[in-house]
Amino acid sequence: MPFSALDVLAYFDSPGKTLAHLNTVDIAVIAIYFGVVIFIGFYLKGSANTSEEFFMAGREMTAWIAGLSFVSANLGSLELMGWAGSAYQYGILATHWYWIGAIPAMLFLGIIMMPFYYISKVNSVPGYLHLRYGDGARALSAVSFAFMTVLMSGINMYSMALVMKVVLGWNLNFSIWVSSITVALYVGLGGLRSAIYNEVLQFLLIWLGALLVPILGLIEAGGWTSLKQQIGARMGSEYVHMWGTTAHFNGNPMGIHWTGLVFGLALVISCGYWTTDFLVVQRVLSANNLRSARMAPIIGAAFKMAVPFIVILPGLLALAVLPYHLVGESQAVATGQHSYNEVLPLMLVRYCGPGLLGLGVTALIAGFMSGMAGNVSAFSTVWTYDIYGAFLNKKATDKHYVAMGRWCTFIGVLISVGTAYLVQHAASIMDYVQGLFSFFIAPLFGTVILGMLWKRTTKAGGFWGLLAGTCTAIGLFLWVHFDPSALRYVALSPDAKTLAEDMYRALWSWLVCVIVTVVVSYMTKPKPVSELEGLVYGVVPLPVEHDDHWYQKPIVWAGTIAVLFVILNIIFW
Amino acid sequence: MRKEISIWFFGGVLFLIYGVIICLEGLWELSHPLVNPPVLNNLHAPIWWGALMGIAGLAYTIRFWPRLR
Repeated sequence: MPFSALDVLAYFDSPGKTLAHLNTVDIAVIAIYFGVVIFIGFYLKGSANTSEEFFMAGREMTAWIAGLSFVSANLGSLELMGWAGSAYQYGILATHWYWIGAIPAMLFLGIIMMPFYYISKVNSVPGYLHLRYGDGARALSAVSFAFMTVLMSGINMYSMALVMKVVLGWNLNFSIWVSSITVALYVGLGGLRSAIYNEVLQFLLIWLGALLVPILGLIEAGGWTSLKQQIGARMGSEYVHMWGTTAHFNGNPMGIHWTGLVFGLALVISCGYWTTDFLVVQRVLSANNLRSARMAPIIGAAFKMAVPFIVILPGLLALAVLPYHLVGESQAVATGQHSYNEVLPLMLVRYCGPGLLGLGVTALIAGFMSGMAGNVSAFSTVWTYDIYGAFLNKKATDKHYVAMGRWCTFIGVLISVGTAYLVQHAASIMDYVQGLFSFFIAPLFGTVILGMLWKRTTKAGGFWGLLAGTCTAIGLFLWVHFDPSALRYVALSPDAKTLAEDMYRALWSWLVCVIVTVVVSYMTKPKPVSELEGLVYGVVPLPVEHDDHWYQKPIVWAGTIAVLFVILNIIFW
Repeated sequence: MRKEISIWFFGGVLFLIYGVIICLEGLWELSHPLVNPPVLNNLHAPIWWGALMGIAGLAYTIRFWPRLR
């Protein structure tokens, strides 16, 4: 039977009660945003003709653009709505994922690791592994990255569509298809340059759309001191301390210990994500010179440090001002209550009338799109350079690879949409996202950092270390999954909760990767030093940057941000 | 021939349009109060937030206006 226009509209219709309704002004604000991002895609189409232009934005981005894009690609809908929900659930402890779980790693990337990525002129992180360890490590890393990227993209898409459905009554199919077709259009047309331009725009929009919530929320709560007192009275004082309650697993709502935060989160997961996840590293590799490439993560760190103001603070404010309690996702589905993940849109609805609500919703959509564009542009690069170009068709023309990249963008979006529907029917996948993430990223960090800092690391050492680390992470996950009492060994305490388990599992898998890499490297023959130039610390001197003034040096800004980071942690101790 | 349009110009234009729309909506609400006003509606956030966005957007639009190469 043929589809009529009414059938198609019915597919996008969503009956039922909603929390808020958008009026004409709100719709206009959202429509203008969609118009601008698509215009940028068409406008930049002519600047994405060669593979260097399409996949690396011509390596012409300034430090500011690369830096903002670096942070924005990470600010997906899970990051915005998920961590606001975590702040409601666990209190100010959620800030650790923005501060100790990001800032040191971003500064480390800018100061220590970026010179090696940049001067080796690689196009991707698996590309670096190829130069340092050969094809085995490259293939393992590229395939696991491609899998994780489309999975994360689909989960992001589903979580945004779900919130839009609950809060605004938008049909899931409508949200998923309209936003993903838009992303596919502007990334497919303009490549990484278009993705980066839009990410910068989206970053600004996220701030402007979400900033009113903490400002008005603090006015309503009577200021920060009054907010802390209200949360303390309603939930307990452990909700407003970042470090003071982490001496024992059962002393805080997250079931976490400071050793897990410092060694598992800061040392392994955070360094793994911010220094080896190609989704974010790709943005920095597009910088126009080494100095910009080093400054970009440092500029990104400064903005990342401020993000809790628009993500964590609304979650904390909700604890004090919302007249009802939010619950977990499964309970929300069963009882019809609102879930933790809806806290940010709920706060938007609370403070924003017509116009501002449209701006806030645009901010949430922009967050989703920037995350998804990051995923699909990184996916198309890794597929084209590190899987297709490296193993399937090595001798194609540059034009062919660009065409492959464009097709991959559309295919990546389609796979993400498929993943979103898969998640819709298997919601438990959402529970394993953090775990899945640590399977690959923690051991990869061990492999990359040893390759960069230790000349003796061999090709076999890199490959077997990466494989052993990944298998360890999967094995530990399955052990606890089938025998929950194993938590006392994996996370060092039976009182540990999911996030703590993820941290310790990442730490063990990283340690196994490092140990196996070192042992196998000592048993095998190293590469001649002449083949390690530009890839390993201490082989040849790094290019010297000539800054006109002391305040232009990346190390000065990294030091300033590090001091600010320490002060903030002490203030909110 | 014109130079490539700066991303900051796009940002400026978008903020200028949003600022004008939101500020006008806030001014409209002064004479046509909302049936279900949000919390702290008495602060008239759309007026000052829209005005701030509009001013910032106008400054960036002028500063990064595409010029001839």
